Amino acid sequence: MSPAPRMSAAARAGVICGKDVAQELRSRVAIVAILFFAATALALVSYAIGPFGLREEDRPALQAALIWIVLFFAAATGLPRAFVHEEETGTALALRKVAPATLVMAGKTLFNFLLFASIAAVAIPGFVLLLDWRIGSASALAATMLLGGCGLAIVSTFLSALVSAAGQRNVLFVLIAFPLLIPLLLTAISATVEATRGGMPWTALRVLFAYDGAAAGAAYMLIGVVWED
Amino acid sequence: MPTTTLSAEHLRKSFAGPPLFSGLSLRIERGLLAVAGKNGSGKTTLVKILAGLLRPSDGQVRIERDGSPLSGEERRLAVGWAGPDLSLYAELTAVENLRFFRRAAGAAADPADLLRRLAEVGLADAADRRVEEFSTGMRQRLRIAFALLFDPPLLLLDEPMGGLDAEGREMVHGVVAGARTRGAVVLASNDERDFLEPDQRVDLSRARPPA
Repeated sequence: MSPAPRMSAAARAGVICGKDVAQELRSRVAIVAILFFAATALALVSYAIGPFGLREEDRPALQAALIWIVLFFAAATGLPRAFVHEEETGTALALRKVAPATLVMAGKTLFNFLLFASIAAVAIPGFVLLLDWRIGSASALAATMLLGGCGLAIVSTFLSALVSAAGQRNVLFVLIAFPLLIPLLLTAISATVEATRGGMPWTALRVLFAYDGAAAGAAYMLIGVVWED
Repeated sequence: MPTTTLSAEHLRKSFAGPPLFSGLSLRIERGLLAVAGKNGSGKTTLVKILAGLLRPSDGQVRIERDGSPLSGEERRLAVGWAGPDLSLYAELTAVENLRFFRRAAGAAADPADLLRRLAEVGLADAADRRVEEFSTGMRQRLRIAFALLFDPPLLLLDEPMGGLDAEGREMVHGVVAGARTRGAVVLASNDERDFLEPDQRVDLSRARPPA
């Protein structure tokens, strides 16, 4: 007789995330691509601008914009793989057979957030070293990265499911992601500027929190329709 | 022992062109239902609809246990499915695949039980090998193990003999023989020899409505 599910939804989402981590550690396709992209962008930015190419008062805004540009484009090379890879390799049907779309979405969002965190873990120290980025408030920056990364992971994962069955997936992903992520990126940049200056960007963090909540709610309601048929 | 029933009423499925089938109804709770038909007649589509992996254009599929409809999560585990479109994770080993699918479904994954399941399909020696190293026949055996992973009362097999050697075909015959006595098996195939004395039969070559 078929067993009733015994594990919690959170544990099952963790299992799906763990599977993606195991696959990634063995294939290293996404992590190598995004870290290579991040490293290249970082090197180009540091050579083009350099720590002394910026006036003191311009630094926070430019460095905040640059770090999010690097994070966004590095993430855009890896995050869309979440569902696309399952469709391309034909494993999506097996996954659909054992877990509801909401759990798969949760597991893959968690994986994408970890991927984002790994990019940030390379890019932020790189900026500090190569662009002389002086972070006034580390806790404000951490909160910004946490909320910004969550939003980026949620939207990217959902869009990955949306475009996974389409042709020209990568182009479609960027075209749809751009308008959806602009409010997130602008707010995250504004919060990063404030964090660089040493303040706590409460308003921007509240906006990011609300964005993440709205994105998660919409994704939760729509993922079944988007991925299961 | 509870009885699980699979029934479909007035199914119709069309993609871009004319419907593959229309007004198709069936009901099975025990035994073997053979789904026959030429290439492109809609066998794979029908099996996917019955497995809950594809929505019909019209009609509905019901899965009931002792007359009560199963929830989405219960349906997922009550129906075992394997077909040519099913791929398992190439980067993981055979046993890791089974462990992942059981845990993702919220079920326990006892290592000894997983090895027993692999042994049943003749993959005991390949348990720790990555699926990317598997031959076509070994992948097909793993698909069968996936279909049986939750001991489902309803087993849906689409072209289960694909790529199998004589021993593998014998294994599938054994699986079908056992499953049809415990519950229902729906088996779709191009080859009449795959249907061992079916209790019911649907021929999709005859179910296609006139264009």
